[in-house]
Amino acid sequence: MHRAILVLSLLAPLSVFAQAEELENPGTVSAVQERAYRMQHELNLSIGILLLDAFYKGLYAQVGYAFHFNDSFAWQVGRGAYVYSARTGLREQLERDFNVLPTSFDEVQFFVGSDLMWKPLYGKLSVLNRWVVHGEVYVLLGATIFKFTDSFRPGINVGGGGRIFVNKYASFRLDITENLVLPTGGGAKSFANVMTITLGLGINFGGTE
Amino acid sequence: MRWALLLGLAASLTATAQGKTADPVTGDAATKAPAAAPPDGGMAAAAASSTAGAGASAAPVAAPAPAAKKVDPKLFDQALNDFFSNRPKDAAPKLFEYTENLPSTDENYAWAQFFLAKSLIDLKLRHAAAVYLARIARERTNPAVLPKALEELQRLTDLPHDEVMIDEQVFGALDLGFLPEEVAGYAHYQQGLVDLRVGNERWATTHFSKLPETSPEASRAKYAMLVTRLKAAKKDLPKEMIEQFFELGKDPKLTLEARNDALMAVARLRYEAQDFTAALEAYSLVQLPSLAPGRASLYLEEAWTRYQLGQIHAAMGILTTLDAPSFREEFLPDKYLLKALIYRDLCHYLPAKRAAKELTRRYAESLDAIREREDLTKDARLLRAAAARGSTKRGRKYLESLEFEGEQLGRYAGSFGDRMFGYMTRLYDLSRAEAVRVYDDRLHEAVRVEADKLLRAAEQVRVMEYEVGLKLYERIKKGSKLVTLIEEEPLGPHQIAFKFTDEYWNDELRTYRFSLKSRCIEETAR
Repeated sequence: MHRAILVLSLLAPLSVFAQAEELENPGTVSAVQERAYRMQHELNLSIGILLLDAFYKGLYAQVGYAFHFNDSFAWQVGRGAYVYSARTGLREQLERDFNVLPTSFDEVQFFVGSDLMWKPLYGKLSVLNRWVVHGEVYVLLGATIFKFTDSFRPGINVGGGGRIFVNKYASFRLDITENLVLPTGGGAKSFANVMTITLGLGINFGGTE
Repeated sequence: MRWALLLGLAASLTATAQGKTADPVTGDAATKAPAAAPPDGGMAAAAASSTAGAGASAAPVAAPAPAAKKVDPKLFDQALNDFFSNRPKDAAPKLFEYTENLPSTDENYAWAQFFLAKSLIDLKLRHAAAVYLARIARERTNPAVLPKALEELQRLTDLPHDEVMIDEQVFGALDLGFLPEEVAGYAHYQQGLVDLRVGNERWATTHFSKLPETSPEASRAKYAMLVTRLKAAKKDLPKEMIEQFFELGKDPKLTLEARNDALMAVARLRYEAQDFTAALEAYSLVQLPSLAPGRASLYLEEAWTRYQLGQIHAAMGILTTLDAPSFREEFLPDKYLLKALIYRDLCHYLPAKRAAKELTRRYAESLDAIREREDLTKDARLLRAAAARGSTKRGRKYLESLEFEGEQLGRYAGSFGDRMFGYMTRLYDLSRAEAVRVYDDRLHEAVRVEADKLLRAAEQVRVMEYEVGLKLYERIKKGSKLVTLIEEEPLGPHQIAFKFTDEYWNDELRTYRFSLKSRCIEETAR
């Protein structure tokens, strides 16, 4: 009982401080601005890399289209990428020293997909205290069909990305997604992971035009 | 006038005669090629002509120097060579020696003055350069140099400069018949301004009417004319004057600052006419460069306008802007008064009282200085406020530039030589003394104006404190209800809100919105 009284008596001055602050500076202030950049029809041209596979690194070029319903939600209606594979030293060593057949390495050749975008964060950054750049951060959830060396396999992808606006027409975006490829087709028996890192240029039509 | 005409004719005749023999600009009669071809064609001709004709007329005449010495005519060529080889530090003393030891009738005398001025501009000694350029304009020894000298002078007027020497004594007194169009336009504008200053609107109109309608000077002249008429008008401003200011506010020939001044004038006139909505519209048309903090007066006036329109939350938001570091040194006694009024209107009496007291607390020293009848120019706040506006500001900037250039001069003590350095030091000392005198004159008047402003605000604050004191202890009648809350405007679908946490971003300064619920009961509501 005594302890409770002691705690309460110690806490009481805190509430007084809060009241004093409210009395001295009542009210709150916000900067209310028109959103400087808004997207509607987005055509994006990107390049990317598939990093996870130890036997090859995939470099790809991607084209996509996204429709932005509002400032928070968008649907990346479609995207398609063609992959160029660069073999790693490990694979060459296996083929050369251990006579592993080239057909036993499953490589992504191209992929197409679609995603939903949720864009909860929009903000601005001060660059060297001289410029202000606007940007947003978003979450991606979608599905992708991968064409491997000898089969088509579907995957579910989750990821995120960020965008820096250059002007009302152009923006740069960086997406990182993790694709969980389902074990269907081509004799696959286990899930596979394909991580994509994509750097692109978004060209916007509509919105703040 | 007749003498001026005769002198003008004589000058033009001399020009014709000299043009036939060796015109340093066109190089018509220049027979010898310059030793080193300078990059500028016209200037190259000057070098060529000097080689051709300097030898014959290099007789020394009485100069300010104690004993004028004979100057080698090649000195001018060497100086030009230095100048065109981007060595103004070497060119300047040679040109100085040339001008000091040769008579003003020497063919290259004016050119030497001109290149000396150009060298001094390159050395950032702009005032000394202006003195030489003004001398060319006054002496008019070579009509070919004159337009070039005037163009340089006009360029120098974009920076803090000696207004009496350049604007009044050169451009304000020029014979305008022989000048190229651009310089003549500027001279007409300056002469019109001089006439306006002495209250001769008719003569000013004559000068202004000669300005091409598409020139920036024509727009600036309209603005000057309107401001003069505005000052002269006692009551009942003609409505068309507001429209004329409004037109100037959209005139692309004017600088952004001048357009903003015109729009501010529109807003103030509309405010005076109690057309607050239209005033607010004019304030909103004031454009600021990207990420520029803007002017404190703009924000404060907009806040008053919004207050008059009943937009007290928006007005308070703008007052938040005025607390930004960019405006912390501004002299804005009204700000505290308006803040107190807004809190009072929302029935937050203690904050209202505190805001009102903030004025007397913040400006206590200045108010004491006024009451004690001390020298107000010694009060830091009043001094800063007075020196931040109008002609006092220009005077201060000119004085600062003289002091800066005077310091710069010390760097050339070795390369200029004793005679030139001594001459330049005297020139800067005299100019500085005159600039201090002019600045002090303007400052005394400006400080008095600011002190009046402070006293008026302090008086209003006392009334406010009294009113708030009464409200604080007012009894609430039985059955009184809180007034319906003023609905704050909700966020639009394309708007975004950044909660303010004492960090000012320049791009947000015009967008702050204040939120505070009214505590008024029905009978005390505004």
